Amino acid sequence: MAEICCEAAAAAAGSDQKGECAGSRAARRRRMEIRRLRVVAEEASAKRRRLEADEEDAVGGRAPRYGVTSVCGRRRDMEDAVTARPEFINGHHFFGVFDGHGCSHVATSCGERMHQIVAEEATAAAGSSVSDETARWRGVMEKSYARMDAEAVVSRETAGPAPTCRCEMQLPKCDHVGSTAVVAVVGPRHLVVANCGDSRAVLSSGGATIPLSADHKPDRPDELERIHAAGGRVIFWDGARVFGMLAMSRAIGDSYLKPFVISDPEVLVVERKDGEDEFLILASDGLWDVVSNEVACKVVRTCLRNRAPRGGRERSSPTSNLSPRQSSASGGSSSSGDEEAGGPSGDGAGSESDGESAEDRACAEAAILLTKLALARQSADNVSVVVINLRRRPRS
Amino acid sequence: MVVEMDGGVGVAAAGGGGAQTPAPPPPRRWRLADERCDLRAMETDYVRRFHRHEPRDHQCSSAVAKHIKAPVHLVWSLVRRFDQPQLFKPFVSRCEMKGNIEIGSVREVNVKSGLPATRSTERLELLDDDERILSVRFVGGDHRLQNYSSILTVHPEVIDGRPGTLVIESFVVDVPDGNTKDETCYFVEALLKCNLRSLAEVSEGQVIMDQTEPLDR
Repeated sequence: MAEICCEAAAAAAGSDQKGECAGSRAARRRRMEIRRLRVVAEEASAKRRRLEADEEDAVGGRAPRYGVTSVCGRRRDMEDAVTARPEFINGHHFFGVFDGHGCSHVATSCGERMHQIVAEEATAAAGSSVSDETARWRGVMEKSYARMDAEAVVSRETAGPAPTCRCEMQLPKCDHVGSTAVVAVVGPRHLVVANCGDSRAVLSSGGATIPLSADHKPDRPDELERIHAAGGRVIFWDGARVFGMLAMSRAIGDSYLKPFVISDPEVLVVERKDGEDEFLILASDGLWDVVSNEVACKVVRTCLRNRAPRGGRERSSPTSNLSPRQSSASGGSSSSGDEEAGGPSGDGAGSESDGESAEDRACAEAAILLTKLALARQSADNVSVVVINLRRRPRS
Repeated sequence: MVVEMDGGVGVAAAGGGGAQTPAPPPPRRWRLADERCDLRAMETDYVRRFHRHEPRDHQCSSAVAKHIKAPVHLVWSLVRRFDQPQLFKPFVSRCEMKGNIEIGSVREVNVKSGLPATRSTERLELLDDDERILSVRFVGGDHRLQNYSSILTVHPEVIDGRPGTLVIESFVVDVPDGNTKDETCYFVEALLKCNLRSLAEVSEGQVIMDQTEPLDR
């Protein structure tokens, strides 16, 4: 039985809690904890709905519903970070998965800073003369990743009064720590996905499974060619690795392997298709190594269709004993945090609220189910999953 | 850098077979390659005297060197800490060793994530504080470095008119199934270069701290 270290993703990298799946008493206690977390998630959802109702007139849209899980799994330490920032800039919503290696502080830094950097760059680019939306977002993401990579070198010093970093070393800088970064910005008309490393973004649209990122593995032909041209070498040592060491060809940080391991993102900008786009999944390779894109989309599609409120009974599943905790809202840490100023409230009691609540819960449950599936299939890594419902809701 | 060892057979050699000093490596734009890791005449002499390995047919052997702008006693005080390799090794997350540092001590090393191993069990074969020689053998773990044995020596020298240290580390190891001798040497050399570069950064950092301390101490 896997030891599970769960982390509240809303805090991006909060304190770890260790749990042991042993005995029915422990399982019962864990289910009670899950129920409590779900209540918290629902309260956060309700709060977010009130905020969204107030903002509806201003931006003409609502934040998408989403669910997040992030669990330690079989790895010794938790080194993933996840960020969800609805309305991080007007009408746009930020989601990111950062899978750290070597230590946690680069991924933690990405979780805390990447959305701020992207917001700054997007705001600056909004005033530029670039009229092409695709080119503008590509520039925003490339600049943002370069800034994040530069910050990664000093991220341990700037971790704050209570650093989560476990480095015992006293080195002047941490060249040997890095992170993947897969980021999605959901806007009114476009989906922007930027990727660096081997985490992944997958879109489900019109029933089709569409990868929006391509893993940066060292033996990907174009990556292999780039590394060789730079004078580096890829050696198969438990898989293809740069110098036999790192199993990905792009990452934030890892200065010791530059210029062979670069932080340039691959950016994809796609137009949203109302009526076809269903959902977007961002996840670390702890999921994708053991679950195919198609299976993941099938699981999420089933969850989003079964939106009926769940009774008191746990859903029957061979993975029901694996109980990761989850959060489906960033609540107080949301950067859109306008105070409710007595504006018109669009929320009414009745079936509409129940429906919204069920939909919010469906994303969280989809993320939980994907995580359970990854753990059941013996994933050997931290698992982090974000599920974003892309169907727009009609206005009240 | 590949070096032909005296009495060695089957050493992976990228250059001329019979040369005492290997041919200079092709220029590479690689951060780690920017380090002064080429063996020169003096280093070759130290290798001949202190770094004798006898690799068998299925093994490979090589050595790397590093010049450090820090006095030899400071560098040696770091490398001899068999119980705390994380003081200067960038890929060690944790180390456990029971008892005192002495020949025969065994340490359990946890390796940081992202690398192709999670732990290594290592035995101290030799620790000579007079000659400043450290020898370590891997006796377990989930890496693929079977029968790995290394010798590390530190030697005083003068760099820019100040006391410096030449560090040389050599190794012998089985070539794993599926890899070539060249690949295996390349991989291990890259790891050792990372270690020696970090050792240089830590040592030189301490020298800077010493030099900026109050004079009236």
